[in-house]
Amino acid sequence: MPVRPSGITNASFAPWIVALVFLALAAWLTFFSARPDLGPTVSAALIEQADIRPEPRRHVLGEPAAIPMGGYSLRCMECHRFFQSPPVERRILTQHTHIVLRHGQNTRCFNCHDRADRGKLIRYDGTRLGFDQVPRLCSECHGTVYRDWERGTHGKTLGSWDPASGKQRRLACHECHDPHAPAYPDYVPLPPPNTLRMGEQGSGHSAGIDSEHGQAESATLGGSGHDSPLMHRSSMPRGTKEPTE
Amino acid sequence: MTTPTSATTDVRIWDGPSADAPQPRRSFLRSAVAGAAGLAAFAAALSPLKDLDVMELADPQAFLQKHYKEMTPAEIEVALERIRNKVEARYGVRPDIRDLRPQAGVEFAYALNLSRCIGCRKCVYACVAENNQSRSPQIQYIRVVEMPRGTLDLERGNHHYDRPRVPDNDHYYMPVQCHQCANPPCVKVCPVEATWKEPDGVVVIDYDWCIGCRYCEAACPYWARRFNFAEPTLPKEELNPTMSYLSNRPRPRGVMEKCHFCLQRTREGRMPACLEACPTGSRKFGNLLDPTSEVSQILKTKRVFVLKEEVGTLPRFFYYFDERYPSAHDENVDDPRLPTSPAPEARP
Amino acid sequence: MKTYLTFLIRCFRLSFVGDWRYYGWMALLSVTALFGLNAYCKQMVFGLATTGMTDQVSWGLYIANFTFLVGMAAAAVMLVIPVYIYRNEELHDLVIFGELFAVAAILMALLFVTVDLGRPDRFHHLLLRFNFPISMLTWDVIVLNGYIVLNLHICGYLIYCAYRRRKPSKAFYIPFVFIAIVWAISIHTVTAFLYSGLGGRPFWNSAVVAPRFLASAFAAGPAFLILSLSVLAQFTTYQVPPKAFMTLRNTVAIALSISMFLLGSEMFTEFYTDSAHGASAKYLFFGLHGRHALVPWIWSAIALNLVAMLLLYLPISRKLPVLQAACVMLIVGIWIEKGMGMIVPAFIPTPLGEIVEYLPTLNETLVTMGIWAGGLLIYTILVRVTVPVLTGRLTYDQEFSVATDMRSPSVAATPEAHS
Repeated sequence: MPVRPSGITNASFAPWIVALVFLALAAWLTFFSARPDLGPTVSAALIEQADIRPEPRRHVLGEPAAIPMGGYSLRCMECHRFFQSPPVERRILTQHTHIVLRHGQNTRCFNCHDRADRGKLIRYDGTRLGFDQVPRLCSECHGTVYRDWERGTHGKTLGSWDPASGKQRRLACHECHDPHAPAYPDYVPLPPPNTLRMGEQGSGHSAGIDSEHGQAESATLGGSGHDSPLMHRSSMPRGTKEPTE
Repeated sequence: MTTPTSATTDVRIWDGPSADAPQPRRSFLRSAVAGAAGLAAFAAALSPLKDLDVMELADPQAFLQKHYKEMTPAEIEVALERIRNKVEARYGVRPDIRDLRPQAGVEFAYALNLSRCIGCRKCVYACVAENNQSRSPQIQYIRVVEMPRGTLDLERGNHHYDRPRVPDNDHYYMPVQCHQCANPPCVKVCPVEATWKEPDGVVVIDYDWCIGCRYCEAACPYWARRFNFAEPTLPKEELNPTMSYLSNRPRPRGVMEKCHFCLQRTREGRMPACLEACPTGSRKFGNLLDPTSEVSQILKTKRVFVLKEEVGTLPRFFYYFDERYPSAHDENVDDPRLPTSPAPEARP
Repeated sequence: MKTYLTFLIRCFRLSFVGDWRYYGWMALLSVTALFGLNAYCKQMVFGLATTGMTDQVSWGLYIANFTFLVGMAAAAVMLVIPVYIYRNEELHDLVIFGELFAVAAILMALLFVTVDLGRPDRFHHLLLRFNFPISMLTWDVIVLNGYIVLNLHICGYLIYCAYRRRKPSKAFYIPFVFIAIVWAISIHTVTAFLYSGLGGRPFWNSAVVAPRFLASAFAAGPAFLILSLSVLAQFTTYQVPPKAFMTLRNTVAIALSISMFLLGSEMFTEFYTDSAHGASAKYLFFGLHGRHALVPWIWSAIALNLVAMLLLYLPISRKLPVLQAACVMLIVGIWIEKGMGMIVPAFIPTPLGEIVEYLPTLNETLVTMGIWAGGLLIYTILVRVTVPVLTGRLTYDQEFSVATDMRSPSVAATPEAHS
C-alpha cells in the first residue's frame, strides 16, 4: 500500500505494531480457534415401527377364548356342541367391564353370545349375528356411539380419506375395544420431546451425555409437579456454560 | 478524554501531515508488512470455511433452480432427478420422489377428538418416521400438550410429561401441529414467497427457495414451524423413500419445515401417518368439500372449536369433544360376584 | 469522472493515515471485526446451531441489534430537521456527520439481517420473487436500501462539492434532504410494523410499538452523535459549534421522555389488564414460573434511562463530561430495552405456553461484536475522510496541504466555552 510519505504523523512505529497485532491474530485464529459447541446432540429416541402401530385390542380374554380343562385348553364349542348350557335370564342393562372367564360362574355370556351357537352373536330380539356384524350388536345399548360411528365421527378409519374411493375401512367396535373390558387401556407414552439444543452442555457429544440429559429432563419435569395444576413444566433452560472458543 | 490536552500537535490525529515526514522507502516497507499481516489475519479468520461443503453450496443446478411455481414440468423433472441423485449419494437409497399436485374439488381438513386422545405420542413419532425429520437435532411437527382439566390456557400445559402410563385422569391431552390456516400469517410474512397455500388448503414450503429468515416462525400463533438450525441427520435405514417435492424429501440445513398433512400420502388418497398411528381414533382427516366425509360430519354434528380463534387465522385443524369423557366411566361391574369373590375355580 | 476517481483514491489513501491513536483504534476495530468474521465463518459451516437461538426463541441478538441500529440510522434526521426546517445554518455541516452515521448504521443493520439468515447463499431469491407489498420484510428491504442510497447521495454530494470548492446546487440535494426526513421515519416505522403486525405475538401486537421505536431512536441516535462529535472536537481541528451539543441535548431529553412515557403506557396496559396476553411482559419485568433471565436487564435499562433523563434535564449536563455520561447511559439503556427487552420476550412463553430462555452463545456474541466493529470502522473512515475536506485541507487543488490552520481545536469543542 503506497502511503504518501508525508502522511504519517508521530506514527512511524505504529504500522509495525499493527502488523504484529495482525500476525498474532492470524496465529490465534489458525491454531486456537475452536469448533463452536453446537450443544448436546440429541440421540434419537429409538422408536421401533411396532411402537407406532396400534396395539392388539383383545387383552382380557384370549382370542379365541379358551378354557383349561383337564390339562387341555378347550374352546367353548368343543364341548357345548354336545352340552347345552343351562338357561339364564338375559339382563342387558348391565355393564360388561373386566369380565374374567370363570367357567360355570359367568352369568352374562348370553347377553351377547348365542347360547345355542357360540359362533354367533345374538341381539335382544333374538336376531343372530355373525362376528362380522359386531357393531349391530353393540348398537343395541350404545346407540349414540353407534350413530357417531356410522357417521365416522367415532372410531378409526383406515385406507383412504375419500369415502367415495371404496378403499375406506372403518374399524369395528371390537377392533379397538375389548368387548370384555371395553374401557380403553392405558399406554406407556413415547418419550417427551428433546428438540432443544440446550440443557446442561457437556464437553463432548457422546451419547451418554444425551441420555443423562434426557433423564434429568424427565426427572425434573415429569416427576415433580404434576399434582399442581399451576406447576409449569417446561423445558430446561439453556445451559449457562458457554462453548469454549 | 474529556479535558483537552494543551499541545495542539499532539491532539491532532486526523487532519493533516506532519513536517517530519519519514523516508519513503521505509514507509512503503512498513505499510507492506502491515498490509501483509492484515491479509494473513483475514485469511486466518476465513479458515473455518475449509470445512464448508462447497459442492453443496456451489451446485449450480440448485443455485439456478427456479421457484416451484415458475418451473415447467420439465424443469421440475430436472429438479427431482437432482434430488434423487443427492438422496442416493447420501442415504444409499434411490427415492421414489414425485411432484404430487393437489386434486380438484378437495380441501383437506383435520379434526381431533380431545375426549379420546390419551397422549401416547405415537402420532409424533409416526410423523417423524414418515416425514424424514431430523433425528438429531430432533425435529418434531406434532407437540402433545398435557393440559389440566378445566382450562384451555396453554401456558398451564406440560410439553414434557413423562408418566409411566397415560392418560392421567386429571389431565387431557392436546396435540398441536400445523393448522393449515385458510388465512395463514406465515405465508403473509415470507419475503420470498417460499411458503404458500395450495388449492387443497395445505400450506407448503419450497425447501429450495426458503432463505431461512424465520419470520414465519415468529408469525405462527401455533408454534408449528421448525427451523433446521443444524444439518439434519437421520439414519440411512430409517429413510422413508416415498417422497414428494413439497413434503417429506430430506431438507437442507438453514430452512424451515413443518407439517404438510403428509402430502405424499394424502394427495394419493391415503391417510396421514399420524392418523394411522393413533390407537384411539382421535384423529380424523378428510375433504371439507365432501359433505359425506368424516370431517364434514364432525363439523356438522360435534362440538368443534379451533385454537386461538381470535387471531383470525381460520385454521383447518379442528378440535372436538364427545358428549362424555371416555375415562369418566364408573368402575361398577355388572356382576358383583365375579371380581370380588375368591370363588375357587369350578372343576366339573 | 477522472477527478471523481482521484477523489475516491485520495479518500482511500487518507483512511490509512493517522497517528498512533488512530492506528490503535483502527487496529482494535479490525481485530474485533476479524474475530467476528471468523465466528461467522464457523456459523456458515455449522449452521445457526452455533447461536443460542432455538425453535422456541427463533430471533435473538442479531435481530435485536438490527432493530436498534435501524433506529440509530433513522435518528440521523434529528439533526437535519433543525437545519433544514428551522434553518439553523450553524449546524449545517453537522448534518453530514449524522448522515454518515446513518450510512454506517444501516450497513450494520443489513449485516445483522444477513448473518441471521439460514441461507445467505440464496439472497438472490429476494430479487427473483419479492413478496411485495404483503410481507413487511420486503418493505424493510426497500426502505433500508433506499435510505442508504439517499444518505450516500446527500453527504457524498456535499462532501464532493466541498472538495471541489463548489457551492452545492440546492436542486441536487435539498429535495433529497426532505425525502430523507420522511424516509428516516419510515424505516423505523416499517421495522416496528415488522413486529407489531404479528397477531400471534401479543407482546409485539401493540400500536404503540412504532411510536416507541421512534422515540427511543430519536433519543439514542442524537446521543451517539453527541459522543462522536465530542470526539471530533477533541481530536481534530474541526470546530463543532457548541450550540450543536445543546440542540442535540434538548432533542435527546425530549425524545427520551416520550420514550419512557410510552414504555409506561405499555406497562400499564399489560399489567392493569392482567390478561393472558401479558405473559411475555410478566416474564420480562418479573419473571414467569421461576424463569427470569431478562429481569435484571430490563430493570437496569429502566434505571439507566431514568438517570440519564434526570441528568439531561438538570443544568449539570451542560458540562460535556456529564452529557457524555448521560448519553452513554441512555444508549446502553435503550439498546437493552429495544433489543433484548423487545425482541426476546415476545418469544417467551411460546405460543404453546412453553418457557425456553435465550442466552446468546460466544460465537453469536463474537459475530455481533464483529459487525459493530466493522460498522464503526466504516464510520471512522468516513469521518476521517470528511473532516479534512470540510476543513479545507483536502481539496481538488491540494491533496494534503500542510496544516495551515493550527488553531487549537479544543477551544471550540466544549459547549460551555461558548454557551
